[in-house]
Amino acid sequence: MELIIIKSIIVGALVGGAAAAGAARMFHAPKVQSMGSFRTIGELNACKGDPISHFTFGLGFLFNATASTVACGGLSQEVHHRIIPNWAAGILLLKNKNVEETMHNPWKMLISGTFVGIVVVVFLNTVASIIPESLSTVASGVLGPAADWMLSPVMPLIFWLAAIDAGKSTGITATITGILAALFIGNAVPGLVLGILIGATIEEKGFNKAVFIMMILTAILLAFSGYFTLVLMA
Amino acid sequence: MEKKKSKMEELLLKNWSFPILLALLCAGVWGGTHMLYVHGSGMFNDLLAAQMFVSADSAGDFMTLGLFGLGYLIARMLEGPLVGVLDIGGSVATGVGLGLPSLCLAFGFTLPVENFAVALIFGGVIGYALGALIIVMKNSMKEGVTASGANIMMGAGNALGSYLGPLVILSACNYSIGAGIGALVGAVLFYKFDKPITGGAILGSMILGLIF
Repeated sequence: MELIIIKSIIVGALVGGAAAAGAARMFHAPKVQSMGSFRTIGELNACKGDPISHFTFGLGFLFNATASTVACGGLSQEVHHRIIPNWAAGILLLKNKNVEETMHNPWKMLISGTFVGIVVVVFLNTVASIIPESLSTVASGVLGPAADWMLSPVMPLIFWLAAIDAGKSTGITATITGILAALFIGNAVPGLVLGILIGATIEEKGFNKAVFIMMILTAILLAFSGYFTLVLMA
Repeated sequence: MEKKKSKMEELLLKNWSFPILLALLCAGVWGGTHMLYVHGSGMFNDLLAAQMFVSADSAGDFMTLGLFGLGYLIARMLEGPLVGVLDIGGSVATGVGLGLPSLCLAFGFTLPVENFAVALIFGGVIGYALGALIIVMKNSMKEGVTASGANIMMGAGNALGSYLGPLVILSACNYSIGAGIGALVGAVLFYKFDKPITGGAILGSMILGLIF
């Protein structure tokens, strides 16, 4: 238990500080390279610098995160996308309502994010470790098959249909790379992802250097994994 | 009104500080994956990803998962410099936190996942390298790849979430009658009150599955 708490403090501090500072940098993008996600920036703006809104928004997702952690040990992406940025911003906004001096400042966000990260991660991991064994047996018995089905066939189908809907050249490239990936890797998704990127680029910009580089990377990836599949099978 | 920026704020907005921030993030996320592997809880990713990781562990096949994560990582790495926002869900949580550790395990290289200190160092070094690569790409290859490919995948990725609820309900029905009925009740109630069906299904199946 002590070990879990110590490790949680370390990873919580690392992820919390970095995610919050990355979120602050988003307000300076695209001039400054940032990290986060579009939904994070939208939601941070939606709270309009009101600390109570930021806290309640984050709290709503803390319930999701707790359920996910108890069910199978995944803290959920809500932690770094929503809870940490919003609570880190909320703490800063309690003292100063000016978002440009608080939420947009990566240094201040780094400090408050570190604090929030430690608290949230320690809480989630300790909650998960005190739940009864039988509960997690049921959870994994139910969630295990659902996750397997998601990995195949649901996920390949969704990506494939999205590629086909996106136009002829995207559909064709994604189908080719997807099926090759299904043959060599055992799952079509990695191939579909790369095929969509290649096809969509061809559609809009024609054959350029980037398409060429991506095609070579895809070919190497497929050849590499195909080789390993053959070796492991033999 | 010209606002004055503090020294630390200016430093953290520089190009070269991006790889450092990404290194910290990746170190923490990789550490989280280590915690799931060793202690059974702590991965910085959704329920689905953590469950796939655990399933892959018990099945002993990490290859598919590793390459799945790698595909995400490559896609987000191409997109990140273009739009100025690196999606940390796809690149760091799924690519670095799920894909790369799975690849390490697939090739029998277990040390970076089993040892906490090595995990942090591994994640940090990889994060720094990725961050540096992104800054180089941002400065050199401004045009070339279109962002619309990333949008297609973003749409597909978001659609994935809505499939999980129904899948959980079907899986609960296969697991036991109690779990199935619990999932049914939970899903209906959550749907009625505009909450995510997945949450209700899981909660209901866990409560009734435990009793019956």
